[in-house]
Amino acid sequence: MADDTLDPLIHVPTRLKIVATLAALPDGDALSFTRLQDMIGLTPGNLIIHLRKLEEAEYISSKKTSNGSMTITTVALTGHGREALSAYTQALRELLGGL
Amino acid sequence: MNHRPDPTTAENGGHFDPQRAATLLNLTTQQARRKLEPTPPWLLVTRAVMVLAACGAVWLSVRGQHPYRGPTTADIPVLIAFIVINFTATAAVAKRATVGVTGRSRLRPAEITVAALAWIAAAAVVGALAAAGVSYSLYPTTLLIVPGVAWAAVMAARADWAQVRYRARGSRRRCSRRVRGTGRGMGSRSRRPLPRPPRQRRRRCLATARMTVRHG
Repeated sequence: MADDTLDPLIHVPTRLKIVATLAALPDGDALSFTRLQDMIGLTPGNLIIHLRKLEEAEYISSKKTSNGSMTITTVALTGHGREALSAYTQALRELLGGL
Repeated sequence: MNHRPDPTTAENGGHFDPQRAATLLNLTTQQARRKLEPTPPWLLVTRAVMVLAACGAVWLSVRGQHPYRGPTTADIPVLIAFIVINFTATAAVAKRATVGVTGRSRLRPAEITVAALAWIAAAAVVGALAAAGVSYSLYPTTLLIVPGVAWAAVMAARADWAQVRYRARGSRRRCSRRVRGTGRGMGSRSRRPLPRPPRQRRRRCLATARMTVRHG
């Protein structure tokens, strides 16, 4: 099937939204968990599950910083993640161009 | 009636066809860019209108002067209003767009202070000169170079120079390859492969590439 050429880790609506949103940031920037949740419109539990999968594949990196009494979690797309999204986009183009 | 499925509601694990994936990718990228953009198009249009109003006010004040005496002090409130509105709108929009964003693209408080101080200093000097009765014609807009130079210095300090050098080397290499290719095509009939770059240059290139990978 043609879909086999698409990265299965990104080829899921929620994870595609997460990766595309993080890719909109300039290289080297990170987004807080709450802002990402607000932009994508997911529940925290659901978002954590998808972020964990992406982090296991080293597509994203997360960092926790303590700001007094508050802990802020930030998420960023890694170079590997950017390359994976680029390859996914290219594969999509080829698939749709062939239709 | 034709029902067009909403790409954002595709179930995880279900069939997610490439067409819907492409639509969702495009939609999400556009929305994210719009939300994270610190200078949206409407702000640029507003700035353009304000610049037009400020320049129009100066033009109105000098219109019909004979002999020419330069802009009048009535222009000062207009120029100050332009600076204040522009600064406030830019800061408010940028603040809203960059909520939760951290990293290299964010301005540090020290950099914001330098830019703000440069503007304040330029405005103060203009005000002082006007109060002292010095004609505008003696110090035209050259004072505005001060904030411009300050901003250029801030941006130069923030730049990723390793990346800039790496890119410059890459384009120089491409350029020299093209030049060599053209020379060979014009001057020689043989189609020999391009000579390998000297070992030292190759080493330098590898070191730069490694450094770029390490710094992300």
